Amino acid sequence: MQEEKLRLEDLLESSNSANDDDRINHVAIIGAGIMGQGIAQTVAGMGLEVTIVEVDSEKLEIAKAQLTESIDREIKRWAMTKSDKKAIFSRIKWATDTNSVKDSEIIIEAVQEDFDLKVSVFKELDRIANPDTIFVSNTSTLSLTKISESISKERSTRVIGMHFLNPVPKIPMVELVKSLHTSNETVLKVKEFASRIGKTPVEVYEYPGFITTRAIVPLINEAMHMLLEGIATAKDIDTALKLGYNFQYGPLEMADSMGLDEVLTWMETLWNTLGEPRYRPNPMIRKLVRERKLGKKTGEGIFKYDEHGNKIN
Amino acid sequence: MKVLVLNSGSSSIKYQFFDTEKKIALAKGLVDRIGMSGAVLSHQRYDGNNIKIAGEILDHQIAVEYVLGVMLSKNHGVIDDKKDIDAVGHRVVHGGETFSGSVFITDEVVKVLQDNIELAPLHNPPNIKGIQACQRILPDTPQCGVFDTAFHSHMPPKSYLYGIPYELYKKYKIRRYGFHGTSHLYVSQRAAALLNKDVKDLKIITAHLGNGCSMAAVKNGQSMDTTMGFTPLEGLLMGTRSGDLDPSLILFIMGKEGLTVGEANTLLNKHSGLIGISGESSDMREILTAVKDNQQRAKWAFEIFCYRIKKYVGAYAAAMGGLDALVFTGGIGENSKEIREEVCKEMEFLGIHLDDLKNQNSDEIISAENSKVSVMRIPTNEELVIALDTAKIVSEIQK
Repeated sequence: MQEEKLRLEDLLESSNSANDDDRINHVAIIGAGIMGQGIAQTVAGMGLEVTIVEVDSEKLEIAKAQLTESIDREIKRWAMTKSDKKAIFSRIKWATDTNSVKDSEIIIEAVQEDFDLKVSVFKELDRIANPDTIFVSNTSTLSLTKISESISKERSTRVIGMHFLNPVPKIPMVELVKSLHTSNETVLKVKEFASRIGKTPVEVYEYPGFITTRAIVPLINEAMHMLLEGIATAKDIDTALKLGYNFQYGPLEMADSMGLDEVLTWMETLWNTLGEPRYRPNPMIRKLVRERKLGKKTGEGIFKYDEHGNKIN
Repeated sequence: MKVLVLNSGSSSIKYQFFDTEKKIALAKGLVDRIGMSGAVLSHQRYDGNNIKIAGEILDHQIAVEYVLGVMLSKNHGVIDDKKDIDAVGHRVVHGGETFSGSVFITDEVVKVLQDNIELAPLHNPPNIKGIQACQRILPDTPQCGVFDTAFHSHMPPKSYLYGIPYELYKKYKIRRYGFHGTSHLYVSQRAAALLNKDVKDLKIITAHLGNGCSMAAVKNGQSMDTTMGFTPLEGLLMGTRSGDLDPSLILFIMGKEGLTVGEANTLLNKHSGLIGISGESSDMREILTAVKDNQQRAKWAFEIFCYRIKKYVGAYAAAMGGLDALVFTGGIGENSKEIREEVCKEMEFLGIHLDDLKNQNSDEIISAENSKVSVMRIPTNEELVIALDTAKIVSEIQK
């Protein structure tokens, strides 16, 4: 019996094995931080090809290691399988050259929450990407209209926000954020894309904090006020809200998971843009951020955590 | 008529290309270890021309593309043009209550299959992917679906209703459906033919033991009960599936381990069964090797596997009020003499006497001359049933 190492293309002389529909099949992600990794895992897990770009190979290696560790943790708790992992990694290309994303049908930026950085990323992509390519920003607080006005007018109708929540693979919802210029066609296409990667899309007009951030920030802030005023312990505040309202996590532990520096940024943005005192950051969160006690990622925030991120009682 | 039959399993796709007038396979093959390392396509043409193609075959869509590629290839193919395939017949696992027989596939049918995904999370997705890949590559070729659930669709309510509020059956169609129907149908009819009797006069237990495992009580030619239920998770222990368990334990585990519904589904469907107990492998061949190496957990996996089958033999003999034949089929049933021996051990009270030599030789009838119950080892041929059903439906439509 012959044993050959063939590729599919060697067998298929005339057949076209590529997807021939006009749906989104190739996705690019700029930024391989926790959000970028989560989006990549979600998209690849649904069978789409992903290219993920970082500024240098060192950062890519870190991202690969983090994604491996996070999927391995899921396998260990029987939630995923080794072949899921293999299929996901086989669909992710890791790149340092932005040019490698020029043929993607959708490009999602998941870089740091910094206006100038996001604008410079979009400006560069605008030059190299196909004219039809949709640009997505994962911003949670910045003005999408302003970002889209920094690039060509034709493209600005194809700019939309997709606000994924962390951990991306587990949160079954995404906020689709429309700027002043986003076209209906772009909304429809991205809505279909969101459903295809297993997320229920919620449409929201550009406004500070959208739905999720705007509602959770005052809740976290209020919980911190209660703690500061000494009316209950951190543990009891979380327990009361968890059991009382059937939340999966209490607001204080949630803030630790999100990162207190991140939460502080949201609070300040909402306070600055909406001017309501209910968004004014509690002094305790400022103090903890100054002390670099940022929550789970540093091992201490409002609660303390072991090296696996488990809360120490 | 020339019919391509695709049988997409959880980690493999079997295919056969039939001439249905002559009832012969012009080519057949297997794409194995899909999504695992060492994935390989083995293709065999009617003239004995063989080829093995190793490749990175990560999902079912790529696997179907490989199959069509090798069928069209200059050196190993059997067709010059895609048009030479008159029809495609797909094995489809779950037809729900909508399909009690084979159907011509339309977009509406695909929609119903998609609606049934939650009933067969391991199988309907690869089945649908196979159908969609064929629709893309062979857009003008008619396709039919032949359902695993169809043969069991005439079970009596006492077999298919569960002991839960009846309203839930009405609301969500929660009932026993049963699977591997095409295989149970084929081997029960083949058993009757081997015994030279009418299947309508026989009480037969069929055990389809492969990557998924199920048994059926076939009385008078009809399935009256089967081990798989609402989904292919119930019943026997399988490669990665738990089979029967106390439903409360999953609620307990979900609470303790913080698992979501989807994650609990993965736990029961992909991390349980032989792999879960042995910690070694989901493959019975590897379990048997580990048993020989005296590995305790592999021994338990082997014992639980056989014990469950034995329990159901007793149950179904009682349900049918007697037993004429016990049939082993499927990858494990056809190839593992150890399993057949263990299942039939100490079953003489029921009239089961295995002939050790015949069992070792893997004959078709492996019971002793004096055995009241005929024990058989019959290679299943679901593909032929699917090809013939497909040809029948397509020629009726083309009339």
